Amino acid sequence: MTLVAYLLLVFVGAYVVAVVEEWSTSGRLRPTAPLLHGLALLARESLTPRRHDRNLFEAGPTLLLVAAVLALVALPLAPGLLPVELATGALWLNAALVYVAVALLMAGWGPDGAYAMVGGFRFVGQFIGYAMLIVMPVTAVAMRAESLATIAVVESQAPLWNVLAQPLGFVLFLVAAMAVCFLPPFDQPVAAAELAGGVFGEYTGVRLVVVRLGRLVLVLTLALSVTVLFLGGWLGPWLPPAVWSLLKTLAVVLVMLSVGRYLPRLRTDWALEWGWKLGIPLALVNILWVGVVLLVGPA
Amino acid sequence: MSPLQQYALLFGMAVATVGFVAMLYLIARSFGRTVAEPAKDVPFTAGTLSRSPVWVRYHVRYYGFALLFLAFDMEMAYMYPWAVVYREVGMVALLDMGVFLAILFLGLVYGWSQAALRRQ
Repeated sequence: MTLVAYLLLVFVGAYVVAVVEEWSTSGRLRPTAPLLHGLALLARESLTPRRHDRNLFEAGPTLLLVAAVLALVALPLAPGLLPVELATGALWLNAALVYVAVALLMAGWGPDGAYAMVGGFRFVGQFIGYAMLIVMPVTAVAMRAESLATIAVVESQAPLWNVLAQPLGFVLFLVAAMAVCFLPPFDQPVAAAELAGGVFGEYTGVRLVVVRLGRLVLVLTLALSVTVLFLGGWLGPWLPPAVWSLLKTLAVVLVMLSVGRYLPRLRTDWALEWGWKLGIPLALVNILWVGVVLLVGPA
Repeated sequence: MSPLQQYALLFGMAVATVGFVAMLYLIARSFGRTVAEPAKDVPFTAGTLSRSPVWVRYHVRYYGFALLFLAFDMEMAYMYPWAVVYREVGMVALLDMGVFLAILFLGLVYGWSQAALRRQ
Protein backbone atom coordinates (compact mmCIF):
# COMPACT_ATOMS: atom_id res chain seq x y z
CA MET A 1 0.00 0.00 0.00
CA THR A 2 2.83 2.35 0.91
CA LEU A 3 4.56 1.42 -2.30
CA VAL A 4 1.48 2.15 -4.41
CA ALA A 5 0.90 5.54 -2.76
CA TYR A 6 4.58 6.38 -3.14
CA LEU A 7 4.71 5.40 -6.80
CA LEU A 8 1.57 7.40 -7.54
CA LEU A 9 3.11 10.48 -5.94
CA VAL A 10 6.32 9.87 -7.89
CA PHE A 11 4.39 9.59 -11.13
CA VAL A 12 2.62 12.88 -10.43
CA GLY A 13 5.97 14.38 -9.42
CA ALA A 14 7.66 13.32 -12.65
CA TYR A 15 4.77 14.82 -14.61
CA VAL A 16 5.11 18.10 -12.75
CA VAL A 17 8.85 18.09 -13.47
CA ALA A 18 8.04 17.70 -17.16
CA VAL A 19 5.68 20.68 -17.07
CA VAL A 20 8.24 22.77 -15.20
CA GLU A 21 10.99 21.75 -17.61
CA GLU A 22 9.01 22.99 -20.58
CA TRP A 23 8.16 26.17 -18.74
CA SER A 24 11.82 26.78 -17.88
CA THR A 25 12.93 26.46 -21.51
CA SER A 26 10.05 27.94 -23.49
CA GLY A 27 8.42 30.19 -20.89
CA ARG A 28 5.00 28.65 -21.52
CA LEU A 29 3.07 26.77 -18.87
CA ARG A 30 1.09 24.03 -20.60
CA PRO A 31 -0.07 21.34 -18.17
CA THR A 32 -1.19 18.91 -20.87
CA ALA A 33 1.87 19.19 -23.10
CA PRO A 34 3.91 16.28 -21.62
CA LEU A 35 0.95 13.92 -21.98
CA LEU A 36 0.32 14.91 -25.60
CA HIS A 37 4.03 14.78 -26.48
CA GLY A 38 4.34 11.37 -24.88
CA LEU A 39 1.35 9.96 -26.74
CA ALA A 40 2.58 11.44 -30.01
CA LEU A 41 6.03 9.92 -29.49
CA LEU A 42 4.49 6.53 -28.74
CA ALA A 43 2.74 6.58 -32.09
CA ARG A 44 5.85 7.62 -33.99
CA GLU A 45 8.36 5.30 -35.61
CA SER A 46 11.25 4.16 -33.46
CA LEU A 47 14.22 3.89 -35.80
CA THR A 48 17.33 1.84 -35.15
CA PRO A 49 20.67 2.80 -36.66
CA ARG A 50 22.13 0.43 -39.25
CA ARG A 51 24.97 -1.13 -37.32
CA HIS A 52 23.91 -0.64 -33.72
CA ASP A 53 25.03 -2.83 -30.86
CA ARG A 54 21.61 -4.14 -30.00
CA ASN A 55 22.18 -4.97 -26.33
CA LEU A 56 23.76 -1.65 -25.41
CA PHE A 57 21.38 0.36 -27.58
CA GLU A 58 18.31 -1.14 -25.90
CA ALA A 59 19.77 -1.30 -22.40
CA GLY A 60 20.87 2.35 -22.18
CA PRO A 61 17.48 4.08 -21.73
CA THR A 62 16.07 1.25 -19.64
CA LEU A 63 19.05 1.29 -17.30
CA LEU A 64 18.71 5.07 -16.92
CA LEU A 65 15.11 4.64 -15.79
CA VAL A 66 15.93 1.67 -13.54
CA ALA A 67 18.81 3.52 -11.86
CA ALA A 68 16.65 6.59 -11.23
CA VAL A 69 13.78 4.53 -9.82
CA LEU A 70 16.05 2.45 -7.57
CA ALA A 71 17.73 5.57 -6.21
CA LEU A 72 14.34 7.14 -5.63
CA VAL A 73 12.71 4.36 -3.57
CA ALA A 74 15.32 4.76 -0.82
CA LEU A 75 14.20 8.35 -0.18
CA PRO A 76 11.31 9.07 2.20
CA LEU A 77 8.45 11.45 1.45
CA ALA A 78 7.10 11.20 5.01
CA PRO A 79 7.78 9.04 8.09
CA GLY A 80 5.51 6.20 6.91
CA LEU A 81 5.92 6.89 3.21
CA LEU A 82 9.13 5.09 2.34
CA PRO A 83 8.94 1.89 0.28
CA VAL A 84 12.29 0.42 1.29
CA GLU A 85 13.69 1.31 4.70
CA LEU A 86 17.31 0.44 4.05
CA ALA A 87 19.75 0.82 6.94
CA THR A 88 22.27 2.00 4.33
CA GLY A 89 19.90 4.29 2.41
CA ALA A 90 22.40 7.09 1.73
CA LEU A 91 24.98 4.62 0.43
CA TRP A 92 22.33 2.95 -1.72
CA LEU A 93 21.50 6.31 -3.28
CA ASN A 94 25.14 6.73 -4.34
CA ALA A 95 25.38 3.19 -5.63
CA ALA A 96 22.27 3.54 -7.77
CA LEU A 97 23.30 6.92 -9.19
CA VAL A 98 26.58 5.48 -10.49
CA TYR A 99 24.57 3.53 -13.05
CA VAL A 100 23.48 6.78 -14.68
CA ALA A 101 27.02 7.10 -16.04
CA VAL A 102 26.94 3.46 -17.19
CA ALA A 103 23.60 4.00 -18.90
CA LEU A 104 24.83 7.06 -20.76
CA LEU A 105 28.01 5.33 -21.87
CA MET A 106 25.94 2.37 -23.14
CA ALA A 107 23.56 4.68 -24.98
CA GLY A 108 26.54 6.50 -26.46
CA TRP A 109 28.32 3.38 -27.67
CA GLY A 110 25.23 1.52 -28.85
CA PRO A 111 24.09 3.35 -31.99
CA ASP A 112 27.52 3.50 -33.66
CA GLY A 113 27.14 7.22 -34.27
CA ALA A 114 30.04 9.62 -33.85
CA TYR A 115 28.10 12.28 -31.94
CA ALA A 116 26.53 9.80 -29.56
CA MET A 117 29.93 8.28 -28.84
CA VAL A 118 31.51 11.65 -28.08
CA GLY A 119 28.60 12.49 -25.79
CA GLY A 120 28.94 9.22 -23.90
CA PHE A 121 32.63 9.67 -23.22
CA ARG A 122 32.07 13.28 -22.24
CA PHE A 123 29.62 12.17 -19.62
CA VAL A 124 32.07 9.65 -18.16
CA GLY A 125 34.56 12.52 -17.82
CA GLN A 126 31.91 14.65 -16.17
CA PHE A 127 31.07 11.74 -13.86
CA ILE A 128 34.68 11.60 -12.63
CA GLY A 129 34.38 15.31 -11.89
CA TYR A 130 31.14 15.26 -9.92
CA ALA A 131 31.15 11.82 -8.27
CA MET A 132 33.21 12.88 -5.27
CA LEU A 133 30.99 15.92 -4.77
CA ILE A 134 28.02 13.59 -4.38
CA VAL A 135 29.73 11.19 -1.97
CA MET A 136 31.60 13.56 0.32
CA PRO A 137 28.68 15.85 1.31
CA VAL A 138 26.59 12.72 1.94
CA THR A 139 29.33 11.52 4.31
CA ALA A 140 29.15 14.78 6.23
CA VAL A 141 25.38 14.40 6.48
CA ALA A 142 25.80 10.84 7.78
CA MET A 143 28.26 12.09 10.41
CA ARG A 144 25.62 14.40 11.83
CA ALA A 145 22.87 11.77 11.66
CA GLU A 146 25.10 8.95 13.01
CA SER A 147 23.34 6.73 10.52
CA LEU A 148 23.03 6.07 6.82
CA ALA A 149 19.27 5.47 7.04
CA THR A 150 17.43 8.25 5.24
CA ILE A 151 14.75 8.46 7.96
CA ALA A 152 17.45 9.07 10.60
CA VAL A 153 19.07 11.67 8.35
CA VAL A 154 15.86 13.70 8.24
CA GLU A 155 15.22 13.29 11.97
CA SER A 156 18.73 14.54 12.77
CA GLN A 157 17.79 17.84 11.12
CA ALA A 158 14.98 18.64 13.56
CA PRO A 159 17.08 21.21 15.54
CA LEU A 160 18.69 22.77 12.46
CA TRP A 161 18.44 21.89 8.79
CA ASN A 162 21.63 20.74 7.15
CA VAL A 163 21.47 23.57 4.65
CA LEU A 164 22.30 25.89 7.58
CA ALA A 165 24.53 23.46 9.49
CA GLN A 166 26.63 22.57 6.43
CA PRO A 167 26.04 25.25 3.77
CA LEU A 168 29.20 24.31 1.89
CA GLY A 169 28.07 20.70 1.52
CA PHE A 170 24.66 21.86 0.32
CA VAL A 171 26.08 24.00 -2.47
CA LEU A 172 28.48 21.28 -3.60
CA PHE A 173 25.76 18.63 -3.57
CA LEU A 174 23.31 20.83 -5.48
CA VAL A 175 25.87 21.55 -8.21
CA ALA A 176 26.79 17.87 -8.42
CA ALA A 177 23.11 16.95 -8.55
CA MET A 178 22.70 19.15 -11.61
CA ALA A 179 25.69 17.42 -13.19
CA VAL A 180 24.19 13.97 -12.52
CA CYS A 181 21.02 14.97 -14.39
CA PHE A 182 23.14 16.54 -17.15
CA LEU A 183 21.11 19.72 -16.86
CA PRO A 184 22.57 22.94 -18.23
CA PRO A 185 25.31 24.12 -17.71
CA PHE A 186 26.44 20.47 -17.44
CA ASP A 187 24.56 19.28 -20.54
CA GLN A 188 27.70 18.25 -22.43
CA PRO A 189 26.53 14.71 -23.29
CA VAL A 190 23.31 15.87 -24.95
CA ALA A 191 24.44 19.35 -26.03
CA ALA A 192 21.82 20.21 -28.62
CA ALA A 193 23.78 22.96 -30.33
CA GLU A 194 26.98 21.03 -30.99
CA LEU A 195 26.26 17.29 -30.82
CA ALA A 196 22.77 17.25 -32.38
CA GLY A 197 21.24 15.49 -29.41
CA GLY A 198 24.44 13.68 -28.46
CA VAL A 199 23.94 10.48 -26.52
CA PHE A 200 20.22 10.32 -27.16
CA GLY A 201 20.32 11.72 -30.68
CA GLU A 202 19.61 8.35 -32.30
CA TYR A 203 16.65 7.53 -30.09
CA THR A 204 13.22 8.11 -31.59
CA GLY A 205 9.64 7.13 -30.86
CA VAL A 206 9.00 4.90 -27.89
CA ARG A 207 12.69 4.67 -27.01
CA LEU A 208 12.77 8.45 -26.69
CA VAL A 209 9.78 8.22 -24.36
CA VAL A 210 11.81 5.94 -22.09
CA VAL A 211 14.82 8.27 -22.28
CA ARG A 212 12.75 11.33 -21.39
CA LEU A 213 10.97 9.48 -18.60
CA GLY A 214 14.30 8.34 -17.18
CA ARG A 215 15.62 11.90 -17.24
CA LEU A 216 12.49 13.25 -15.51
CA VAL A 217 12.59 10.62 -12.75
CA LEU A 218 16.31 11.33 -12.38
CA VAL A 219 15.69 15.05 -11.87
CA LEU A 220 12.96 14.21 -9.36
CA THR A 221 15.29 11.78 -7.55
CA LEU A 222 18.08 14.30 -7.21
CA ALA A 223 15.71 17.08 -6.11
CA LEU A 224 14.18 14.79 -3.49
CA SER A 225 17.63 13.73 -2.30
CA VAL A 226 18.63 17.39 -1.87
CA THR A 227 15.43 17.84 0.12
CA VAL A 228 15.99 14.79 2.30
CA LEU A 229 19.70 15.32 2.91
CA PHE A 230 19.83 19.09 3.33
CA LEU A 231 16.42 20.74 3.47
CA GLY A 232 14.94 18.78 6.35
CA GLY A 233 12.80 16.39 4.28
CA TRP A 234 9.26 16.36 5.60
CA LEU A 235 9.97 18.67 8.57
CA GLY A 236 7.84 21.80 8.72
CA PRO A 237 4.86 23.30 10.55
CA TRP A 238 1.10 23.14 9.84
CA LEU A 239 1.04 21.18 6.59
CA PRO A 240 1.14 17.36 6.41
CA PRO A 241 4.70 15.92 6.13
CA ALA A 242 4.37 14.57 2.59
CA VAL A 243 3.18 17.97 1.34
CA TRP A 244 6.26 19.61 2.82
CA SER A 245 8.52 17.09 1.08
CA LEU A 246 6.82 17.69 -2.24
CA LEU A 247 6.84 21.48 -1.91
CA LYS A 248 10.54 21.57 -1.09
CA THR A 249 11.28 19.14 -3.91
CA LEU A 250 9.37 21.35 -6.33
CA ALA A 251 11.40 24.35 -5.19
CA VAL A 252 14.66 22.45 -5.75
CA VAL A 253 13.45 21.32 -9.18
CA LEU A 254 12.73 24.92 -10.10
CA VAL A 255 16.22 25.98 -9.03
CA MET A 256 17.93 23.08 -10.82
CA LEU A 257 16.07 23.67 -14.07
CA SER A 258 16.30 27.45 -14.17
CA VAL A 259 19.86 28.19 -12.97
CA GLY A 260 21.47 26.70 -16.06
CA ARG A 261 19.61 29.01 -18.41
CA TYR A 262 21.76 31.90 -17.28
CA LEU A 263 25.13 30.14 -17.55
CA PRO A 264 27.26 29.12 -20.52
CA ARG A 265 27.76 25.39 -21.12
CA LEU A 266 30.68 24.06 -19.11
CA ARG A 267 33.27 22.09 -21.06
CA THR A 268 34.02 18.63 -19.67
CA ASP A 269 37.65 19.38 -18.92
CA TRP A 270 36.69 22.58 -17.14
CA ALA A 271 34.09 20.71 -15.10
CA LEU A 272 36.80 18.18 -14.22
CA GLU A 273 39.35 20.81 -13.23
CA TRP A 274 36.90 22.84 -11.16
CA GLY A 275 35.59 19.67 -9.56
CA TRP A 276 39.03 18.45 -8.53
CA LYS A 277 40.94 21.65 -7.84
CA LEU A 278 38.15 23.53 -6.05
CA GLY A 279 35.31 21.09 -5.35
CA ILE A 280 37.16 18.27 -3.60
CA PRO A 281 39.25 20.53 -1.32
CA LEU A 282 36.04 22.34 -0.37
CA ALA A 283 34.29 19.02 0.27
CA LEU A 284 37.14 17.95 2.55
CA VAL A 285 36.93 21.30 4.38
CA ASN A 286 33.21 20.65 4.76
CA ILE A 287 33.85 17.24 6.36
CA LEU A 288 36.42 18.78 8.70
CA TRP A 289 34.05 21.63 9.59
CA VAL A 290 31.21 19.23 10.36
CA GLY A 291 33.57 17.04 12.38
CA VAL A 292 34.80 19.91 14.55
CA VAL A 293 31.30 21.33 15.04
CA LEU A 294 29.99 17.90 16.12
CA LEU A 295 32.76 17.55 18.71
CA VAL A 296 32.63 21.03 20.25
CA GLY A 297 28.99 21.92 19.58
CA PRO A 298 25.90 20.92 21.59
CA ALA A 299 25.03 17.21 21.42
CA MET B 1 11.21 -5.88 7.08
CA SER B 2 14.43 -7.86 7.14
CA PRO B 3 17.29 -6.70 4.92
CA LEU B 4 16.78 -9.74 2.68
CA GLN B 5 13.15 -8.80 2.08
CA GLN B 6 14.17 -5.21 1.36
CA TYR B 7 16.68 -6.25 -1.26
CA ALA B 8 14.13 -8.64 -2.72
CA LEU B 9 11.74 -5.68 -2.97
CA LEU B 10 14.42 -3.57 -4.66
CA PHE B 11 15.08 -6.38 -7.12
CA GLY B 12 11.36 -6.54 -7.73
CA MET B 13 11.31 -2.80 -8.41
CA ALA B 14 14.08 -3.20 -10.99
CA VAL B 15 12.23 -6.03 -12.71
CA ALA B 16 8.95 -4.11 -12.59
CA THR B 17 10.60 -1.07 -14.17
CA VAL B 18 11.96 -3.20 -17.00
CA GLY B 19 8.47 -4.68 -17.35
CA PHE B 20 7.00 -1.19 -17.55
CA VAL B 21 9.41 -0.31 -20.36
CA ALA B 22 8.51 -3.54 -22.17
CA MET B 23 4.84 -2.61 -21.82
CA LEU B 24 5.51 0.79 -23.41
CA TYR B 25 7.27 -0.96 -26.30
CA LEU B 26 4.26 -3.28 -26.76
CA ILE B 27 1.86 -0.31 -26.79
CA ALA B 28 4.02 1.43 -29.38
CA ARG B 29 4.16 -1.77 -31.43
CA SER B 30 0.36 -1.90 -31.45
CA PHE B 31 0.25 1.52 -33.15
CA GLY B 32 2.21 0.25 -36.12
CA ARG B 33 5.63 -0.86 -37.24
CA THR B 34 8.60 1.01 -38.60
CA VAL B 35 8.64 1.22 -42.38
CA ALA B 36 12.02 0.39 -43.89
CA GLU B 37 13.08 3.15 -46.24
CA PRO B 38 16.50 3.92 -47.70
CA ALA B 39 18.87 6.07 -45.62
CA LYS B 40 16.49 6.11 -42.68
CA ASP B 41 18.84 4.05 -40.55
CA VAL B 42 21.95 6.21 -41.03
CA PRO B 43 23.23 7.62 -37.74
CA PHE B 44 23.16 11.37 -37.60
CA THR B 45 26.41 12.75 -38.97
CA ALA B 46 26.26 14.29 -42.41
CA GLY B 47 23.57 12.29 -44.14
CA THR B 48 25.92 9.45 -45.02
CA LEU B 49 27.56 6.72 -43.04
CA SER B 50 30.71 8.07 -41.45
CA ARG B 51 33.79 7.17 -43.46
CA SER B 52 35.93 6.14 -40.53
CA PRO B 53 34.60 3.63 -38.02
CA VAL B 54 33.14 5.01 -34.83
CA TRP B 55 33.85 1.99 -32.65
CA VAL B 56 37.53 2.68 -32.21
CA ARG B 57 39.89 3.27 -29.32
CA TYR B 58 39.03 6.65 -27.92
CA HIS B 59 41.69 8.81 -26.33
CA VAL B 60 40.37 9.40 -22.84
CA ARG B 61 42.09 12.68 -22.16
CA TYR B 62 41.10 12.76 -18.52
CA TYR B 63 42.91 9.59 -17.49
CA GLY B 64 44.94 11.48 -14.88
CA PHE B 65 41.73 12.37 -13.11
CA ALA B 66 40.46 8.84 -13.57
CA LEU B 67 43.46 7.32 -11.75
CA LEU B 68 43.13 9.77 -8.85
CA PHE B 69 39.41 9.06 -8.83
CA LEU B 70 40.10 5.38 -8.13
CA ALA B 71 42.11 6.30 -5.01
CA PHE B 72 39.42 8.66 -3.75
CA ASP B 73 36.64 6.21 -4.49
CA MET B 74 38.35 3.50 -2.44
CA GLU B 75 38.85 5.98 0.37
CA MET B 76 35.13 6.77 0.45
CA ALA B 77 34.43 3.12 1.19
CA TYR B 78 36.24 3.66 4.51
CA MET B 79 34.57 6.99 5.14
CA TYR B 80 31.02 5.66 5.39
CA PRO B 81 31.42 3.35 8.41
CA TRP B 82 33.63 6.01 10.00
CA ALA B 83 30.95 8.67 9.52
CA VAL B 84 28.33 6.52 11.25
CA VAL B 85 30.36 5.97 14.45
CA TYR B 86 32.05 9.37 14.35
CA ARG B 87 30.18 11.05 17.19
CA GLU B 88 30.42 7.95 19.38
CA VAL B 89 34.19 7.62 19.05
CA GLY B 90 34.84 11.36 19.16
CA MET B 91 38.25 13.01 19.07
CA VAL B 92 40.14 9.82 18.19
CA ALA B 93 38.02 9.37 15.07
CA LEU B 94 38.71 12.94 13.97
CA LEU B 95 42.46 12.52 14.38
CA ASP B 96 42.52 9.10 12.71
CA MET B 97 40.59 10.21 9.67
CA GLY B 98 42.41 13.56 9.70
CA VAL B 99 45.75 11.83 9.18
CA PHE B 100 44.24 9.55 6.52
CA LEU B 101 42.64 12.42 4.63
CA ALA B 102 45.78 14.55 4.96
CA ILE B 103 47.83 11.84 3.26
CA LEU B 104 45.22 11.50 0.56
CA PHE B 105 45.05 15.26 0.11
CA LEU B 106 48.86 15.39 -0.19
CA GLY B 107 48.46 12.80 -2.94
CA LEU B 108 46.01 15.10 -4.71
CA VAL B 109 48.40 18.04 -4.37
CA TYR B 110 51.27 15.90 -5.65
CA GLY B 111 49.19 14.78 -8.61
CA TRP B 112 48.29 18.40 -9.27
CA SER B 113 51.96 19.42 -9.18
CA GLN B 114 52.77 16.63 -11.66
CA ALA B 115 50.09 17.93 -14.07
CA ALA B 116 47.71 15.01 -13.53
CA LEU B 117 44.81 17.44 -13.22
CA ARG B 118 44.97 18.62 -16.79
CA ARG B 119 43.54 17.61 -20.13
CA GLN B 120 46.29 15.38 -21.46
